[in-house]
Amino acid sequence: MQIRNTKEIYQQLKEARTKILIPLILLTITSYFSFIWVIAFNPNFFSILIFDTNISIGIFLGFLLILLIFLITLIYVYFANKILEPLINKIKKK
Amino acid sequence: MNKLILLLGLIFSNLSFASAANEELNYTAIIMFVLFVGVTLFITYWASKKTHTAKSFYTAGGNITGFQNGLAISGDFMSAASFLGISGLVYLSGFDGLIYSIGFLIGWPIILLLIAEPLRNLGKYSFSDVVSFRLKQKPIRILAACGSLSTVILYLIAQMVGAGKLIEILFGLPYYSAVMIVGGLMISYVTFGGMLATTWVQIIKAVLLLSGATLMAFLVLYQFEFNFNQFFSEAVNVHSKGKNIMAPGGLISDPVSAISLGLALMFGTAGLPHILMRFFTVPDAVEARKSVVYATGFIGYFYILTFIIGFGAIVLVSNNPVYLNDSGSLIGNNNMAAIHLSHAVGGDILLGFISAVAFATILAVVSGLTLAGASAISHDLYANAFLIGRNDERKEMKISKLATIFLGVLAVFLGIIFEEQNVAFMVGLAFAIAATTNFPILILSIYWKNLTTRGAVIGGSAGLFTAILLVILGPVVWVDIFGNNEAFFPYKYPALFSMIVTFVGIWLFSMTDKSKNSKVEKKLFESQYFRSQTGVGIDKPNAH
Repeated sequence: MQIRNTKEIYQQLKEARTKILIPLILLTITSYFSFIWVIAFNPNFFSILIFDTNISIGIFLGFLLILLIFLITLIYVYFANKILEPLINKIKKK
Repeated sequence: MNKLILLLGLIFSNLSFASAANEELNYTAIIMFVLFVGVTLFITYWASKKTHTAKSFYTAGGNITGFQNGLAISGDFMSAASFLGISGLVYLSGFDGLIYSIGFLIGWPIILLLIAEPLRNLGKYSFSDVVSFRLKQKPIRILAACGSLSTVILYLIAQMVGAGKLIEILFGLPYYSAVMIVGGLMISYVTFGGMLATTWVQIIKAVLLLSGATLMAFLVLYQFEFNFNQFFSEAVNVHSKGKNIMAPGGLISDPVSAISLGLALMFGTAGLPHILMRFFTVPDAVEARKSVVYATGFIGYFYILTFIIGFGAIVLVSNNPVYLNDSGSLIGNNNMAAIHLSHAVGGDILLGFISAVAFATILAVVSGLTLAGASAISHDLYANAFLIGRNDERKEMKISKLATIFLGVLAVFLGIIFEEQNVAFMVGLAFAIAATTNFPILILSIYWKNLTTRGAVIGGSAGLFTAILLVILGPVVWVDIFGNNEAFFPYKYPALFSMIVTFVGIWLFSMTDKSKNSKVEKKLFESQYFRSQTGVGIDKPNAH
């Protein structure tokens, strides 16, 4: 009975991890490669100034991307601590 | 310890501490630097008393907290090359500096999401422990050690040459003595204090560098009353490239280079041995996770600061004759932008502080690199590839100390040989090799059931070979260094092609592997995966 239980929790852990990981990995890769893509194919887009300022879209989005990267790590750790860690601890106790 | 005292004497007798902007002695730099060396040598002495086993030598006993490790990781990453190099690139062409910063940062979510926890759960001292968890020790260890050592040595050469040049300009010290002082101090930190000393040197330096850069950015923005619009407008007015500094310049000109550089930066970080090694200094996967979040935060913040510093130098340094030579370019070179700016906003005191921090940064980064290289020699090659089951930990530690001294001497030697060479491509090549060899075998060994020893060894070494060959035949080495007219391989960055070679090679030679051994390796995957996900069965950290 106990062995089956561990298996079930482990299965749950794997599924939960996949659900958290896939969107975050996609977000990381697409955001970065879109940035690189614009630089390679349409660099002029990044030189457009935003609103009435002297700050270009490229610099604005670059700063935003740095923020997003940090945010991705925060989101993962939030879900890992909330969802994955309790499951891992259950398995460890067995 | 006698060696350390001798070394200190050597430093005092040699340093003349004349600063770049004015040729007088800069006392702040002297005091700051001596203080830093004193404190770090004291820490090394303290750490040497706690470093008796191989585990404490490689992992600082596994007792570093997530926050401390986050600082140490960011310390490993914020080298003098990235502080001075990126702010110099921003000074020269504005936006392009941001492309590099973001590239260096984007590897971190990948490490966090895919590598950090399984790495901590499966490994003991180095990432090769993970790769050889279910694969055959000897061939895999040799391959991983080759990957690690080539990354470490290329990185070391780049840092050493950069360090020598920088110290030459900052303190007016001859190149040879500068390289030797760096080598000597680094050998002392690592051989006597192991990972514990290296980690604390890294933490102190990270705090100093972050505070110094914060202060500089603050002082720059203060002059513009924190109005970014006004700040950037002024930069556009002053810079010779005008409004072009706000958009992509010539750094990346074609899509293949864009993707290739992007891949190398994104996945190279996840294959740097001195970074991966840091994850074994924390007690478990929870702390490993935390350390990446702190590291990403610190590194991201630091890159925003270097961007402001680069633009600050455009506004406050580029039009001030004090910092320019007769031809109108910066005294020293463009990499001195941040150093000159520190003088422009904070006078001799800040100049001295930032110079000393730059020196400390070099010392800390080369120490981390050397430790990772030494562990590849002693732990992977000596203890596990050639002496399987016959080694004892004391002997392994002795070998790693000898390996440290060997690598330190080698680094000084190579630093002197490459003095006049263009070494900028070496960091790029190190990243390409890390992304081509270390990262694929690591990630596939964790996640791909069908990986076999044959596949990993053939694919991994084919990729390593391809990366090196393409760089030699490419424009940077074949044209710029060898002086040929045209390159065989047209692109500067090999990662796109070499990574394809690795992954296809690994896939092909794993799938066609019908040996008995491969069946066992596939069978072991399930239990390895269970441990990588849950951490059941990992070593406990040393008791205090």
